[in-house]
Amino acid sequence: MTSKARKCDPAPAGNRWGLPDLGLGVGLRTQHFRHITSKWPAMDWFEIVSENFIDTSGRPMHFLDQIAERYPIVMHGVSLSVGSTDPIDFGFLDKLKALAKRTKARWLGDHVCWTGVAGLNGHDLYPVPYTEEGLRHMISRVRIIQDYLERPLVLENPSTYLTFAASSMPEEEFIARLAVEADCALLLDVNNVYVTCRNHDLDPVAYLDAIPLEHVVQIHLAGHTDNGTHCIDTHDGRVIDAVWDLYKRVIARAGGRATLLEWDANIPKFSVLQQEVRKASRFRNGLREAAA
Amino acid sequence: MKAAGQLETLERWMQTVVMHPEGAEAGLRAQPARRLLPAAARDPSGVVLPSKQLSAVERLEIYAHMYFARLVEVMEAEYPSVRQLLGPHAFAAACRRFVAKHPSRSRMLNGLSAGFPDYLARILPRTNRNGLAVDIARIERAMEDVFDAPAAVPMTAAEFAAVGEGTRLRVNPALALLELRYPANAYMNALRRGERPRIPRPRATFVIVFRRGFQVLRRDQEPEQFRLLRALAAGKPLAVAVRASIGGRSGSADRVARRLGRWFEEWAGAHLFVKGDAHLYRNSR
Repeated sequence: MTSKARKCDPAPAGNRWGLPDLGLGVGLRTQHFRHITSKWPAMDWFEIVSENFIDTSGRPMHFLDQIAERYPIVMHGVSLSVGSTDPIDFGFLDKLKALAKRTKARWLGDHVCWTGVAGLNGHDLYPVPYTEEGLRHMISRVRIIQDYLERPLVLENPSTYLTFAASSMPEEEFIARLAVEADCALLLDVNNVYVTCRNHDLDPVAYLDAIPLEHVVQIHLAGHTDNGTHCIDTHDGRVIDAVWDLYKRVIARAGGRATLLEWDANIPKFSVLQQEVRKASRFRNGLREAAA
Repeated sequence: MKAAGQLETLERWMQTVVMHPEGAEAGLRAQPARRLLPAAARDPSGVVLPSKQLSAVERLEIYAHMYFARLVEVMEAEYPSVRQLLGPHAFAAACRRFVAKHPSRSRMLNGLSAGFPDYLARILPRTNRNGLAVDIARIERAMEDVFDAPAAVPMTAAEFAAVGEGTRLRVNPALALLELRYPANAYMNALRRGERPRIPRPRATFVIVFRRGFQVLRRDQEPEQFRLLRALAAGKPLAVAVRASIGGRSGSADRVARRLGRWFEEWAGAHLFVKGDAHLYRNSR
């Protein structure tokens, strides 16, 4: 197989764990439960926010059980707090494990961030200082978590709005070293790369080029809000052209990767999500045509 | 695992700053942040770098704003009728004060505002509007809890037919029993019909919130009906619960039987009694 063919083939071997390219998916949101379970629309897979299905036994689990019977599910969390200096919450890991088993989740992950310390939770993705100390701390915790979960953790680059003066390396280097040294998988959020680079006056192409693509098992796409002075990762609209360009660049280098559209505010009809995520096909199909 | 020094200090400092109820700038100057990084109160750019467009404080304010905005938004979704009654600004202010006083200690959001009704009861001046708002908050909180409660299999008609005087019925875990000071359920119904009802005077009311299938419902109960259901939910045998709730005060045996028949018919239709083990949602009041 030539190098070009390997890039263009969305084969399991595209990442070091052999995790499959699930195709194109969207985030599973309550507004679409009835539509999905009555129409069973065309969609390759769904991503759930893990915490929305923990400590609840009512309607959400009822629908999730049905949907997980028909579509692949990926679990994406927001409160694992891998970067926190609080102790690891093994009770929470047990809940994640149980949910992963119930939904037959293809993989599960969270973010390169912390969400709280001293027992509190800010329910936000706070940036880690990109220091050697921070890196060692996260590597150590990711290894423990992966051992406990008995599967690779898939960590996403967050949108960040500040930089600590103590940081001694750029975010992309921190994430690349974390992935390699902790041997964890990455969820490359292309919109977050754009937002972060806008907020820190960085070059998104250089950021992407620093990411070890053999660790990337999933890609996120989303809309954001540009406030002029800074961008916020609001997930409330269509993907902008500049982000599509970055996605095209990643796909050209990495080949097919499970790609997901996030849309969490002003959530439109399901058909709009389908339409938006299908745009990604152009780049994925383009690769296949180029390979042929 | 031993947490590293600088990392832990930076995390605690940032959290203290962005969770300050008056925003990051006030948080920087407040004692908890000064204890962690004293120099940052004078020059935050020594800890957080400015960008070309934003100062260090402005960058921290993004997180401070999002912290409260996100949690208030969660509470707006949980307490729509309380928000309507108090008005959006007063409601948001109450939420911010609540979150500042009771920050989340859970990784999940569904328990974030569990203490909000009691908090409102403590902080709101004693007026009929506010008393009604507290009662509506109790109903809306119960709706959230019932929504998340475990599912259970309702008793069948044959199982009801086999019930005797000594039977201890098991109530659905997705049931809340609320004893209120105002006619809050009727007021909520009026609000949801788009009416603008007058604030009612205090009057004890008894409300059940329950889930039938996956639909959360609420219903007013007669006082004796409520007492009986509460006694059954507490695990009392049927005859004991009936005697304790309505014995001797409700007229002839025929009348009592008719009322009991009507109540049980309503409860069975609502799936309030289930097979197997179940527990009672505790009214926090």
